[in-house]
Amino acid sequence: MKIVTVCSTGLGSSFMTQLNIEKALKQLGVSGVETDHMDLGSATPSDADVFFMGRDIADSGSELGDVVALNSLIDMNEITQKVKEALERHGVQVPGEAENS
Amino acid sequence: MLEQYVVADGIRYQHQVSGWRQAIDEVAQPLLDAGSVKPEYVQAIKDNVVQPGGTYMDVGSGVALAHARPEAGVIQTSLSVLHVGQPFLLADQEDHPITTMFCLAAEDAQNHLSLMQALASFLSDEKNQRRLEQVSSSKELRAVLSGL
Repeated sequence: MKIVTVCSTGLGSSFMTQLNIEKALKQLGVSGVETDHMDLGSATPSDADVFFMGRDIADSGSELGDVVALNSLIDMNEITQKVKEALERHGVQVPGEAENS
Repeated sequence: MLEQYVVADGIRYQHQVSGWRQAIDEVAQPLLDAGSVKPEYVQAIKDNVVQPGGTYMDVGSGVALAHARPEAGVIQTSLSVLHVGQPFLLADQEDHPITTMFCLAAEDAQNHLSLMQALASFLSDEKNQRRLEQVSSSKELRAVLSGL
């Protein structure tokens, strides 16, 4: 399972989102998920199972496949929830929700 | 700690700005003064904002991360920040009101990991998001960034 975050430059917003997704994965108690960040121009569908990006570029990225649009790149509640849904969509087991803090 | 990545005089407060272009000029000035970026870099950020999807710099909660590609004119990885009392609209779009704008200069796509970790960890903390909204001077802004 691999999650890639995308933004127009591939090093600011996408990098920060990647770090926040890693934090969310830790909070969810999930390991073994690979993450990376890249720019919209270089990302191809084979780069990841799921692509996370800000709502403003989600339309341009839609051909990448499974695209998750984020309203905020720093709202951990939204990120954790959407990461959890993505994991479940791809058959990755998410441990008990009790650890959600 | 986030503050250590900010260039000299790189923490600014202004009551209001005429719009997003002035905000970018204001937040980027300390990076220009410090020799961290070339003037072309500031123009590249403005060019990015007006592109379709250019508001990707809006990271949420009234915070924007102004940046462009390293080859657009970054000399040294660095950071500056501006807080504006009256929100301005990024790309003149109603759904992108901004009060805090960081300007990020990254030399390449990977080597600013520790800076981004500090920034991501700071901004994803709801307490810091709330404190940023209340800032009314550069001194207060510095205190929030230092975690005081």
